[in-house]
Amino acid sequence: MHRLGGVGLAAFDRQQQSQRSFAALSTQLSRAQVDTLHAQLDTFRTALTSFATHHRADIRGDPHFRHLFQQMCAAIGVDPLAGPRRGGWWEEALGLGDWQSELGVQIVDVCVSTRERNGGLIEMRELVRLVGRLRGVEGGAVTEDDVVRSIRALKPLGAGYEVVDCGDGRKMVRSVVKELDADQMVVLAIAAKQDGRVDEDLLVRERGWTVDRARAVLENMLLRDGTCWLDDQDGPDGMGRAYWVPAAMEWPDE
Amino acid sequence: MPSLSTYTTPSGFLLPSIHSAAPFFTQQPFETAQSSATDLWTRLILTYARHRRLFVLRVEDTEKTGGDWDEVLRNERINRRMKAGHLEFVLGSMVTKGLAAYEPPDQTRSVLLYWRLPEEWAEVLHEWATNTGQLNTILTFYEITDPPIASELSGLPLPLLRNAIAILAKSGRAQTISIADGDGVRFFARTGR
Repeated sequence: MHRLGGVGLAAFDRQQQSQRSFAALSTQLSRAQVDTLHAQLDTFRTALTSFATHHRADIRGDPHFRHLFQQMCAAIGVDPLAGPRRGGWWEEALGLGDWQSELGVQIVDVCVSTRERNGGLIEMRELVRLVGRLRGVEGGAVTEDDVVRSIRALKPLGAGYEVVDCGDGRKMVRSVVKELDADQMVVLAIAAKQDGRVDEDLLVRERGWTVDRARAVLENMLLRDGTCWLDDQDGPDGMGRAYWVPAAMEWPDE
Repeated sequence: MPSLSTYTTPSGFLLPSIHSAAPFFTQQPFETAQSSATDLWTRLILTYARHRRLFVLRVEDTEKTGGDWDEVLRNERINRRMKAGHLEFVLGSMVTKGLAAYEPPDQTRSVLLYWRLPEEWAEVLHEWATNTGQLNTILTFYEITDPPIASELSGLPLPLLRNAIAILAKSGRAQTISIADGDGVRFFARTGR
């Protein structure tokens, strides 16, 4: 009976031979796959670039469209900002790199110029509003989402910019390297609900804190961090002591 | 608590929204906060003074009602007023920055406000003399600060007037002259004399 594999030393040769053929075939196949993939990527890239170029004005000018575009990019796993290298095709196609750096500079501008007043803590909506004013009408609208994204992009600079969540959907941006402890977060959250005002009683009542604890956190914010302003004419007798968080106040004429 | 808002006073002055913020009326213990507040107060005081042509601000203006400064130093809508010590501090800063001068000197409770700097008053003065055809004539100080036809210079306090004349004299555009009933001044075109 003829045996396919044969016997003896020749069998080894044949086996090696077929292994080589398989290897060659495999290489060929993977190359074909890689080629196809390359072709697909090229098509995809062309399509995305043409989409981006086509809608460039919309992406830069319309916050809603920009958000959808960024969502789409995230869904397919690309970051329109990351780009393979600086000045890469993403930036070319979108000019979004410049856009984002420009926004970053404006955020820093607002944070720094209001820092004397608010101790480096600003409410998100207020920041968005002031950045919007800085950009003027031609600059196009900016959303909270854009600001968060820009602040993330600022992170490598080590400037300590951070978005802080105060609960019930309120966010603040901290622009100084200063940790906010849990008690300060509570004060911010309460102040945000009161148009900026807090006092010891309120903290004692709402949180069950001791007077000492309430006083300690408020006085620290007032005297150490500068994130609070004092009002010494509070209450019906005009002698009370209240604390105001400028970051949680809105300044309509600025 | 009402949100902050601007407010137009009975005298027609638009108060900025910071004026409706309670802590604005308290001197801040934190230095950078107070320096920001001082800048805001300074701007507010000078623009209000210009609006109503007020030249003098006294620390005691915080303590009585019915004065010229009530609209600024008080906010009845939120029941706050600026305290004397706070105003004295702000006035001190204004004097340091050359935006006011203690008048009389050697005290810290009353200032002359420079909503126009003495250099600017000098130009206004010279322009007025030129436009009213009073160059080369001797004028009494009274004729300048209380002219028959009201001018920009009406009611200008004497120390400011002297200051402005001294500035013009330096460039040869004015000369003070002693006359029978006090001081007089003669203005010259450009660098005359």
